[in-house]
Amino acid sequence: MNHHFLEMKDLVVEYTSGGSIIHAVNGVSIKLNSGETLGLVGETGAGKTTLAKAILGILPDRSAKVCGGEIILDGKDLLKLPQKEMLRIRGKKVSMIFQDPMTALNPVMTVGGQITEAVRLHENLDLNESKRKTCSMLEMVGIPAERFNEYPHQFSGGMKQRVVIAMALACNPKLLLADEPTSALDVTIQAQVLEMINDLKKQYHMAMLLITHDLGVVAETCERVAIIYAGRIVEYGTKDMIFRSPAHPYTRGLFGSLPSMNSDVKRLSPIPGMPPNPSDMPDGCAFAPRCPYACEKCQNGDVPLAEIAPGHFCRCFVEKEE
Amino acid sequence: MATLLQVEHLKKYFNIPAGINHAVDDVTFKIEKGETMGIVGESGCGKSTLGRTIIRLHDATGGKVLLNGEDITQAKGKELKRLREDMQIIFQDPYSSLNPRMTVEAAVSEPLQLSKRYNRTEILEATERLMDLCGVEERLRMSYPHEMDGGRRQRVGIARALALNPQFIMCDEPVSALDVSIQAQVLNLLMDLQEKLNLTYMFVTHDLSVVRHISNNICVMYLGQLVETCPSKDLFDTPLHPYTKALLSAIPSVDLDNPMQRIMLKGEIASPINPKPGCRFAARCRHATEACGQPQKLEEVMPNHFVSCCRIKEL
Repeated sequence: MNHHFLEMKDLVVEYTSGGSIIHAVNGVSIKLNSGETLGLVGETGAGKTTLAKAILGILPDRSAKVCGGEIILDGKDLLKLPQKEMLRIRGKKVSMIFQDPMTALNPVMTVGGQITEAVRLHENLDLNESKRKTCSMLEMVGIPAERFNEYPHQFSGGMKQRVVIAMALACNPKLLLADEPTSALDVTIQAQVLEMINDLKKQYHMAMLLITHDLGVVAETCERVAIIYAGRIVEYGTKDMIFRSPAHPYTRGLFGSLPSMNSDVKRLSPIPGMPPNPSDMPDGCAFAPRCPYACEKCQNGDVPLAEIAPGHFCRCFVEKEE
Repeated sequence: MATLLQVEHLKKYFNIPAGINHAVDDVTFKIEKGETMGIVGESGCGKSTLGRTIIRLHDATGGKVLLNGEDITQAKGKELKRLREDMQIIFQDPYSSLNPRMTVEAAVSEPLQLSKRYNRTEILEATERLMDLCGVEERLRMSYPHEMDGGRRQRVGIARALALNPQFIMCDEPVSALDVSIQAQVLNLLMDLQEKLNLTYMFVTHDLSVVRHISNNICVMYLGQLVETCPSKDLFDTPLHPYTKALLSAIPSVDLDNPMQRIMLKGEIASPINPKPGCRFAARCRHATEACGQPQKLEEVMPNHFVSCCRIKEL
């Protein structure tokens, strides 16, 4: 199959801040088929959210710059589309669930009103029909339609996240960007929300890009996983490959850092050191300063993303030699 | 082993316009010296309030907290000040718990200065020793919090808490603001310090895998009440209370081979304001009957395993 629903090629995004250039995304390529979920895992500052915002074209105009690459959605390069057309795609074909439901909603607008606004913008429906559509969306995410006229502050965190999800799904998007959709929620509520997203995904045959730092959430929702470090994909493969045979030292480090639920480990094996400063990236592999296997080769020149097994890619020299 | 901290029928209510918020309601447990007690529960269940009431950042509404047999809740003046040296706290958010205008050295040495027992050279020496103990590099001595990342800031917070050789440390979600790789570094540090200094921890968190890793015993709280307490291994092997079972099953697991049989809870955590008598979990519990409307007692169901549920024997 050659045709992917979303194909991102060598995306580069930089921010300028106080005279220095911050390299947030440094050549990321991903492919996503419709109906498929890709988990994007990485630490704070790895460039996960920037990536999602680049797809939607909502990076801040002044400070951020897409320096290269292509984002092809259904055959069209989103980066080359005029604003007007982008407006029609954003919220309709591609929509996003933001991390923090407390700040993603407008506090002075009823939740029903906010969803209706999105529906009216994209669907050719009159006010009553849009309202009906909104009510059915609310019910679908488990909120009684009677709460249409309530304000966000009258909802709990989990309920607010459901409203955000209802809004994102209101126009049946083909691609859903979920940026840490459950990080602000408690585990029992997280379980409810994840189950709901999974059901809806099947129902609407959506493609989903799930951004998270929680490997547990990835294990439960994704078919494929990309591990991102310092704005670069360091490992990419199916869930089974990543969880059963992680290859990159960073991925292995992530698993070693997790306290296990099932076995008794006395000490965790954390990754030493800190993520690199994105305004001052090291040459070569960005992970080399923290890597136990780093050699001279790692510090000079780019490390290519190599296919170590069919469909399993890893950006590391060491893995190839083993 | 000696008991360091004993909490008896501790209550903390807040008067708010909507009524009385039963943030902590009749909680009883004890912590042995050198051990770690994990307190878990969802947001709003009163776990932080419990911790803060124990070290007397809040005044208790009722009940007792005994540290080495002395009642903290009634202590005043000099006596309280002395007791406070023995109990310290590590806060959740290393971004807001450090004074942005104090250097690392100033922050770590402040408790020593306030105690008025040490001279300048002693303070400098002690600061250096504390920074070294907690893995804060010497070159950061004159740095301000904004120049450091979360993990380093949390280390400074820990060094500051250790300054006066406390016996008991209340850790209020000390790693939940940190990335996993950094989180593991800080957890290891806390465990090393416990071994070296024979510290006793109370570890408040919502992250069950962290609590399993670090605790000897665990208390599970729901809406201000203790629903289950037992050794940490027992809690994960044989959870008894319906809420604990649901909570454990909700954790997303990285283990692909043993997916958890999930118990979905309906609804959300209720409000602790003017609660009805009886089990507070009953509204979400699939085993609830009429008897659950009566006040529940914490009973020893298995050795050292206490559960507060009237239907536990039938289940």
